Amino acid sequence: MSKKADPKKVRYEVQWERFGYAMISPSMIFLILVATLPLVSLLIMSFFRIDLTYPLDNGWVGFENYLEMAKDERFWYSIKLTAIYTISTVFLQVAVGLALAMAFFRGFRGQGVMRVSVLLPMILAPVVVGLAWRTLILTPEYGILDYVSILLGFGSKPWLVAPTWAMISVIIIHTWQWTPFAFLVFLASLNAMPQEPLEAALLDTRSAWQRFRYIILPMLQPAIIIVVIFRTMIALRAFAAIFSATGGGPGTATEILNLYAYRVSFNSLDLGYGAALGTVLLLITVGISLFFFRMRRSSTG
Amino acid sequence: MVKITRREFLGQSAKVGGLVLASGVAPAFIKNAFSEDKHAAYLKANINWRQVEGETIKVLVTPAHYFNKFRAISPQFEDLSGVKVDFDIIPPREMREKAVLDFGARSGNYASHTADPMYLSLYEANKWVDPLDNYLNNPKLTDKSWFDLDDIIPLWRAADSVKGKLYGMPAEGEATIHVYNRELYEQKGLKPPKTLAEFKETAKELHKIDGKIAGAAIRGFRGAGQNMYIWPSLFLAWGGKWFDADGNPLVNSEAGVKSLEYYCELLQNYGPAGVENWNWPEIMEAFAGQSIAQFIDSNSTASIIENPKKSKMAGKTGYQRWPVGPSGRRCTSIWNWTMPINAVLPKKKKVATWLYIQWLASRPTQFSSAVYKETPDAVVRTGVNRISIWSDPEYRKVINFTPDYADVVLTSMREDTDSDWRPRVPQWPKIGEVMAVAIQAALVKQKTPREALDEANAAIAKIMKRG
Repeated sequence: MSKKADPKKVRYEVQWERFGYAMISPSMIFLILVATLPLVSLLIMSFFRIDLTYPLDNGWVGFENYLEMAKDERFWYSIKLTAIYTISTVFLQVAVGLALAMAFFRGFRGQGVMRVSVLLPMILAPVVVGLAWRTLILTPEYGILDYVSILLGFGSKPWLVAPTWAMISVIIIHTWQWTPFAFLVFLASLNAMPQEPLEAALLDTRSAWQRFRYIILPMLQPAIIIVVIFRTMIALRAFAAIFSATGGGPGTATEILNLYAYRVSFNSLDLGYGAALGTVLLLITVGISLFFFRMRRSSTG
Repeated sequence: MVKITRREFLGQSAKVGGLVLASGVAPAFIKNAFSEDKHAAYLKANINWRQVEGETIKVLVTPAHYFNKFRAISPQFEDLSGVKVDFDIIPPREMREKAVLDFGARSGNYASHTADPMYLSLYEANKWVDPLDNYLNNPKLTDKSWFDLDDIIPLWRAADSVKGKLYGMPAEGEATIHVYNRELYEQKGLKPPKTLAEFKETAKELHKIDGKIAGAAIRGFRGAGQNMYIWPSLFLAWGGKWFDADGNPLVNSEAGVKSLEYYCELLQNYGPAGVENWNWPEIMEAFAGQSIAQFIDSNSTASIIENPKKSKMAGKTGYQRWPVGPSGRRCTSIWNWTMPINAVLPKKKKVATWLYIQWLASRPTQFSSAVYKETPDAVVRTGVNRISIWSDPEYRKVINFTPDYADVVLTSMREDTDSDWRPRVPQWPKIGEVMAVAIQAALVKQKTPREALDEANAAIAKIMKRG
C-alpha cells in the first residue's frame, strides 16, 4: 500500500512519469515558443515606449501607454466598432446557422450538394474571402451583389465606400464565412438529440413555432452557448477579411481594435502602444470568455 | 505620325528581343561572347568588380515590372563580380514592414531593399543604414567619373538625402502627370487645362457624357502612399506649408482646407463609383478601359496605356504636367525606389552590396534594363534615373508615346516639385497614417475637411512634441 513497501513499483512509476514528461515536452516547448513567449513579450513591451520613428526616448514608461489610451479617441471608436461587429456577427451566425440546421435536419431533395456548398466558405482563407467580396461581389455596378441590387431596383450601393455601408459589408462577409461553423454544431446536436420529447411534441397540437420555441430551443441551449463563446472569441480578433476588404476604412469606419493595434504597430511603428492595445484586446477576450464559461457552467450545473 | 511611332517602337522591341534571345536561350559560346561584350561597358570603370568575389547578398524588392527587369539581368552582375544576389519579392506594404522589422531586430537579413525615400529619415534616426558618401568617395569602391552621380536626377538625390548626406541610391522613379483622353477632349472642344480650376471644369464637362464615363480620378484609397501621395501636390499648389518656423504643423491652414475641399468635390462629383478604394492600378485600368476620362497619377501608367493589347486608349491619350494651383505653383510627386545599405552587415557584404547598387544605378544597366523584355509582352521602363538617358534619342524613341511625353515627364521631375513636398521627418510613418485617415474621412463625409484637418493637425502636433 505504501510506496516504500515496493521500491520496484516506485521506480516503475517514476519511469512512467518521466516517460510521460518526455512525451509531452516537445509540444510543451513548441507551445512555449510560439504562444507563451510572444504573449509575455507583448505584455512586457506594453510597458515600454518602443517608437521606431523616434528611438531616442524609448524606454520604460510604466502604465503610460494605458493612460494614453483613455484619451485616445480613435481607440474608443475602435472599441465601439468592435462591440458592434462582434455582437452583430455572432447574433447573425446563430440565427442563420440555426435556420439552416433546421432546414437540413428536416431533410429535402438535393441536400447533399447544398450541404457542401453551405460549408465551402469556411474552408477559404479569410484574406481570400475579403478580396473576393471586395472585387467580385461588392464592386460598384460589376459586383454580383451590386448588380442584383440594381436589377431589383434598389440601385447601386456604396458597399465599401460609405462608412455605415462598409460596416454592414464586413459584418455580412464575416457572417457569410463563419455561419457554416454554427450550422455544423447545431445540425450535429439536433441529430444527437433524444427523439422522444420531439415525437411527444408532434402528438401535441402546438404549432411548429411553439414546438421550436419550447422544445427544440431549450434542448439546443448548450450548443448555442458553445457557438456564442467560440464565435465571440473569433469575432473579437477578426482581422484578415476586414484588412483585405476595407483595410479598416473608409476613414476609420471598420477599424476594429485588432486592426487599430496593427496600424499603430506596423504603420505608425509605435510598437509599445501597439502592444498595449493588443493587451487590452486580449484582456477583453479573456474576460468575455470567462463570463460565458461561467454562464455555461451555471446553466448546465 | 502615331503609326510611325508604333512601328519604330516595335522595331526597337524586336532588337531587344533578339538580345534577350542571345543572352538567355542561345548556346553557351554565343552567350559568353555576348556577356564579354556586355561587361565592356562596366570594365571601363576603374575599380575591381571582383574584389569580394564569392559573397552572397539578399535584396528585398517589390514585384513591379522594373524590378522584374533588374532581377532578370542581375545574373550579368553576378557574372561580372562573382557576387551572388538573392531576391525576396514582396508587395510594397509588406516589404516595408519586413525591412523595418529586419532593421529593428538588427538581424541583417537584407543587405538592401527597394526603400521608400520617405522612410530614410527614420532609417537615419535609428542608424539603420550607412551614408553612401563613404562608398562614393572611396576610389577603391567607386570610379566617380564613370559612375557620374551628378547625372542621376537631382531631385531624387535630394529626396534620398538626410541632413545633406545621401542614404539611398535612386534606382527607378516617377512623377505624377495629367493623363487625358484626347478624343473626348476634341469631341467636346476642350483644351488641356492650365489650372486646377480648369481641370475640375473639364471633369464636369466630361462626366457621364455617354451616360457612364467618370469625369476624372485621383487616388482615393487610404494610405501614406495612396491618398497621401496625391493630396500633398494639391496642398502645395494651394500654397500650403507643412510646418511653421517653430515646427508647428500647418495642415489645417486655409491652403489645407481649400485643397482638401477641392479634392473631395472633384471625386465626390466627378469621380468614378468606388474611387474611395482606388489606388493607381485601378485608376490606370479604368482609364485603359475607357471608364474614366482623365486622371492625375504616375507617368509610368503610360507604358500600359499605350499597349494596344492591354488598353483601348493606345494612341489616343494626351499627357501634360500638373495644372497650376491657386498659388501659381504646380507640384508633382517626387518618388523613387531607393537602395540603402544595411548598417549591420559585415564589411565584405557591405562592399558587395555597394557594388550591386553601383551596377544597378549605373548608366549601362539603367539603359539596358529600360528596354529589356523579361516576358514577351513586357513594358518599357519609364522611370530611368539618369538625365543623360532621358535626353538620349535612342531612349526617347522607345518612350515616344506622344511627341512631348518625354519632355513632360522630365520637366515635371526637374521643375515641378521640391524634396520636401511631403514632410521628411523620422515621424513620417505616423504623420502619413494620420493624414491618410483624415483625407479619406473627409472624402467619405465622415467629417468635414476642416474637422478632419483640425484633428489631424492636433495629432501631428502631439506626434512631433512627443518625439
